[in-house]
Amino acid sequence: MAVFSPMFTAVKPSTVRPAPATLPLGANAPSVALPLAFILTGLLALGAGTGWLVLQPRLLAAYHYNQFVIAVTHLFLLGWVCSVVMGAMYQLVPVALETKLYSERLARWQFAFHLVGFIGMVWMFRVWNLKQVGHFGSVLAFGVGLFVYNMARTLRRVPKWNVTAVAVAAALFWISLTVTAGLSIAIAKCSYDSTEGLATAPGVGTLVDGLRSIAGFMSRFDAISAMHAHAHLGGVGFFTMLIVGVSYKLIPMFTLSEIQSKGRAAGSIVLLNLGLAGSFTTILLRSPWKLAFALVGVGALAIYGWELAAILRARRRPTLDWGIKYFLTAVVLLFPLSALAVVLSWPGLPLNVFTGQLENVYGFLGLIGVVSFAIIGMLYKIIPFLVWFCRYSRQIGRAQVPSLADLYSARLQAVGYWTFLAGLAAACGAAVLSSETGVRIGCGLVGLGVATLAVNVGRMLTHLFRSKTRPLSLQTSPVPKPA
Amino acid sequence: MNGRPLIESERRKILPLPAETQCPANGTRSAVDKSVTVDVREDIRQGREPFSKIMNAAAALQNDEQLLVIVPFEPVPLVRALEKQGFRHTSHSVAAGEWEVRFTRQTMASPLDAAPAAASLGSRRNSGFTPMKMVEVDARGLEPPQPLIKILETLAGLSEGGQLNARTDRRPMHLYAQLEERGFTAETLEQPDGSFLTHVHRR
Repeated sequence: MAVFSPMFTAVKPSTVRPAPATLPLGANAPSVALPLAFILTGLLALGAGTGWLVLQPRLLAAYHYNQFVIAVTHLFLLGWVCSVVMGAMYQLVPVALETKLYSERLARWQFAFHLVGFIGMVWMFRVWNLKQVGHFGSVLAFGVGLFVYNMARTLRRVPKWNVTAVAVAAALFWISLTVTAGLSIAIAKCSYDSTEGLATAPGVGTLVDGLRSIAGFMSRFDAISAMHAHAHLGGVGFFTMLIVGVSYKLIPMFTLSEIQSKGRAAGSIVLLNLGLAGSFTTILLRSPWKLAFALVGVGALAIYGWELAAILRARRRPTLDWGIKYFLTAVVLLFPLSALAVVLSWPGLPLNVFTGQLENVYGFLGLIGVVSFAIIGMLYKIIPFLVWFCRYSRQIGRAQVPSLADLYSARLQAVGYWTFLAGLAAACGAAVLSSETGVRIGCGLVGLGVATLAVNVGRMLTHLFRSKTRPLSLQTSPVPKPA
Repeated sequence: MNGRPLIESERRKILPLPAETQCPANGTRSAVDKSVTVDVREDIRQGREPFSKIMNAAAALQNDEQLLVIVPFEPVPLVRALEKQGFRHTSHSVAAGEWEVRFTRQTMASPLDAAPAAASLGSRRNSGFTPMKMVEVDARGLEPPQPLIKILETLAGLSEGGQLNARTDRRPMHLYAQLEERGFTAETLEQPDGSFLTHVHRR
């Protein structure tokens, strides 16, 4: 009986208090400031990372295993992608899964740990001080722990599990593993130096022994393989998993459609998890079986594309806005990315200059192509709504409020889309050819695309400070229809 | 029997019930007395929450049908909730641990009677019946935040004492705080077709 809601408790009439037959009022996402703080941090990191590549195009035009590439990659991944995705999740997950965020306070603390952690990590990667990478990485990991705990407790409240909730839960598992793997790699590279002289210090002997055990365990694996396995955990397990899972909720919502086959949707999530588990293991062990698991992952994405196409065919809104176009471009880019994954997983593929550059393109296309296009598309949905809701929701019915589309420029969206896409293509082509000039031009165009996004975001944010409502006219006064 | 009408369990003992059909809302529909029976005793024994099952059955009732709920105790809060949605009830303790609660729609349009048909409105008017000040908003098929705008704009023109029923494709998560701020409260129920019906009234 303890599990029952108050609605189904036998109580004396005199003690009855009418209970709502629904979620409590106010069951909702957190305040607007929190997701916006994450998102703006992400946009600054995207601008900084793109500028870095323009200034040092060699990072993309030469082999990637060096401190600067690792630093800029973490700037993109942690600063841009993680910031935006985490901020958006605090907003979207409660709404999409019809529940309430467990703790906004924990989320604010996570933002502080995240900010300090990723900035410190990127800087220390750049100067290649792995001991400090480990320290800042621990700060970041603590923040990720808060994030995972907060989201897991939020998921426990979900009244009805669906494919999106499963994908979010899986993503939380993979991000935890990603952070663990990353810290383990850092420990393996520096624990002997950094623990020198600490072994005899009181109270830290167990910690030092633990660090050395982890370092000993990680020494069994090839360093580059461990790094690639770690990157796939984050790239596929967290980002791609969320893109796939959340889009099953958001794309039908924004195109006025429905999931056409729950079996296909569930199958894509299951296969993606299986493919990633196998890929992580086989990449780490340099096993020839990695091709088989890459194909499982590609199969999962093919099923996802199939279901997404069916959703779009059934949509009741014929016109696709630029936000959706950005997102669908990311989905289309999964095709060349999957093809590259299969090629790079081929057993016995030699590592030479050309295949090394293909690995660069694989990472760049995945990060700046697929993930960034998907995120920008969703940002063009999320930011206008956040700003609009914060500024105008109380004015509805009391004044004429602008529509979401009034908050940004569709023309800038289009210009940004084409320059970003052209820059991506140019940078990928130039990377294959090891052309620094081409990479600079390509990343410059990507930077222009980012600038248009920044201008549009600025236009949206001005509404927070300057309301643009108009008084209701007689013609626009709502007239209720009696029943 | 002391002349009182037979209640459902007594009739079951005396008369073989005619063919019963499963209705979409997890109840059993009887052709004899136009009632839908929802027995939730097993749900409660199994620790399952039966509330939505009953509310779905109530929402799916035809105008001339009754809802018979069989429960192990008198579900006072449920009665209050359905009364707020325009139902009357009678309840009887049949045996130890068995109550039968029968719900019938009141003669006026109930909040869950969501059929917006103008024809039925016309017939009520013609019969001299005074309808409840109920406004229907169908916000299905709209991209966010249009449902929110449509509901709140309609709410702004709602007369004193008026109530509003809104149908949406999704549970209107962003609506609740706005309603609270404007002095309204709401209950949302998922409908058998997957849409949501939100009943809004003043606090």
